[in-house]
Amino acid sequence: MALFIYGTAINTGKNFFTAEDRRNFFLRSYPGNVWVVGNSEKGALWLAEKNGVEKTKAEAQAIVDAVVTAAQAVYDALPEDQKNRPGFNQRPTAITLP
Amino acid sequence: MTTYNELAGYRVNYLSTDPTLNSGNEGQVWYNSTTGKLRALVQIKAWSAGGNLNTGRKQLAGCGIQTAGLGFGGEDGTVISTATEEYNGASWTAGGNLSTARYTLAGAGTQTVGLAFGGYTGSVSAATEEYDGASWTGGGNMATGRQALIGTGTQTAGLAAGGYNGTTNVANTEEYDGSAWTAGGNLGTARRYSGSAGTQTAGLGFSGFTTANTAVTEEYDGTTWTSGGNVNTARYSLAGAGSQTAAIGFGGFSTVNTGATEEYDGSTWTNSTSLTTARKYIAGCGTRSSALAFGGDAGGVSAATEEFTSSIDVTTAAAWASGGNLSTARRGLGNAGTQTAGLGFGGYAASPSVATEEYDGSTWTGGGNMATARGYFAGCGTQTSALGFGGVNGVELNATEEYDGSAWTGGGNLATARNALGGAGIQTAGLGFGGYVNGQGGKNNTEEYDGSAWAAGGNLGTARWILMGFGTQTAGLAAGGTTTGSNNQSATEEYDGSAWTAGGNLNTARRHTMGTGTQTAGLGFGGYATTLTAATEEYNGTSWSNTTSMATARRNAGGAGTQTAGLCFAGYTTTSVANTEEYTGSFQTTTASTLTTS
Repeated sequence: MALFIYGTAINTGKNFFTAEDRRNFFLRSYPGNVWVVGNSEKGALWLAEKNGVEKTKAEAQAIVDAVVTAAQAVYDALPEDQKNRPGFNQRPTAITLP
Repeated sequence: MTTYNELAGYRVNYLSTDPTLNSGNEGQVWYNSTTGKLRALVQIKAWSAGGNLNTGRKQLAGCGIQTAGLGFGGEDGTVISTATEEYNGASWTAGGNLSTARYTLAGAGTQTVGLAFGGYTGSVSAATEEYDGASWTGGGNMATGRQALIGTGTQTAGLAAGGYNGTTNVANTEEYDGSAWTAGGNLGTARRYSGSAGTQTAGLGFSGFTTANTAVTEEYDGTTWTSGGNVNTARYSLAGAGSQTAAIGFGGFSTVNTGATEEYDGSTWTNSTSLTTARKYIAGCGTRSSALAFGGDAGGVSAATEEFTSSIDVTTAAAWASGGNLSTARRGLGNAGTQTAGLGFGGYAASPSVATEEYDGSTWTGGGNMATARGYFAGCGTQTSALGFGGVNGVELNATEEYDGSAWTGGGNLATARNALGGAGIQTAGLGFGGYVNGQGGKNNTEEYDGSAWAAGGNLGTARWILMGFGTQTAGLAAGGTTTGSNNQSATEEYDGSAWTAGGNLNTARRHTMGTGTQTAGLGFGGYATTLTAATEEYNGTSWSNTTSMATARRNAGGAGTQTAGLCFAGYTTTSVANTEEYTGSFQTTTASTLTTS
């Protein structure tokens, strides 16, 4: 059985996920409104209740990759003096979903 | 009929309400005349769900404690694993891989000083490896290669006994001194797949498999194994934890996968509450009252983790929950206040911002605008009495602004204009430290604010920027940050009103990081480690310990509140974000039980 469920959902703010949710199942967000949720009944129910759209891992990874690529392009277009300010602007790095 | 008075020597209290519940009442029995219930405060034993292993597997080994566990090796039916994972009480993260992939190995020691020995690699193994919290290095080989062995103790005082040598079950014992194994006394019953607990000089091996499941328990004194009390459920491939006189055994295979849990007091095994997921080839660690079970075979490879707690107090784990979203996504903003009365101001949106937003515990609403748009600055104080100072807006700033709950007014200027500095304190007793000046690099200057002017304080030991800062002017804290722009610092420094001294290091070195709380009860979260991190740590005045992570890894966010009621808002992932998370620290509740005749 896969460890995680992948999906997209919009974080609507307060109570979008609760402390109890976090205690009950794995829950992480990634760029592109991608959510990785523990593969359990409670996890699946959470994603459904949040009007989430379930994705395959490959689909979810592709969404994250596209957002990272776009952010890298924004960084690459920065003036050199902004790129070189130590520690402030960093080129976004690839994110691999668990 | 025998009365409670005759049995216990006390009369049962007759009360109209339950008494105040705390550990001092443990064992008390009373009659609640209002509800008509006989009530008691008794120990609760329960397994509860922990975070899943990232790599589900069986026949792995474990060591450490419930809040700092280590799992390593194992197999999934196809692949023999080198994977190591570290547990922080809530979730598993990857550690350094074993040099030798193997399963049915044994483990001993702690999460940061671990020991792996024996197992099966394609043949039985005698190899030993030592873990330092990050990587495994080779140790001395056992004389007898073996798998499914009893293993316990520490990295410098390990114990191996029994197991299977590829041909037959063995009874011999070996003792490790940190570099070499020497022979110890033989087990009375040669067997494999036993449970283990204890130390090199007070070891315990129980149950297992000879030619059938055996219930025997044996106790080791450093020289000789002697018989202890039999387990109630004979089984193999169970796990154990604790000491020779206070042990716990769980899981395994009897005639089916079992979740049966038993507790040992040095002479007798007593049945306790069962694992939620019955499974064999399980790993475990911890103590009798606070154990950890993980992995195994539950009809398929399992990643499940369960935590055993035996207490009159039930501990609810710390967690981050979502809060209301800010109106303006931004990073490098100023922060002040509490979880239910927070303040975020300035920062970089599309450009440097003057916007202020106030949080009431669920919703952000607009406040008065700052006079100077800026980002990467410091803030402190409360929602109705805040301070913002320094930062950058094309050039480094020395300007200070004071907020009264509706409007910002100018305050005294910092002596050293800088950005990405740390801040602490309140509006009339503020503290600014560290930071960065373009062309000059990191700063170690500290300045103290009295409500109108900044004066020099003691210098930080390490000049750095994009660090976390919190606490007060006379009890401040600085941690993390960078000294080059590309490295990550783990160092903590504590300020006493005049000088900075070293504190305990962060577990995760990071920059662009956030923190809140006090010098003796701090909370650090997020930032950039080797990648964006959601990792959260609690500081107790001496050391940092890992706690549950945020849902969204981010950097340059706002942080407010306390160690037990923290707030993280806005920040940067691949773009500026607006979302908020609220931290609730772990807490304990004491609950009375109603006594029944069933």
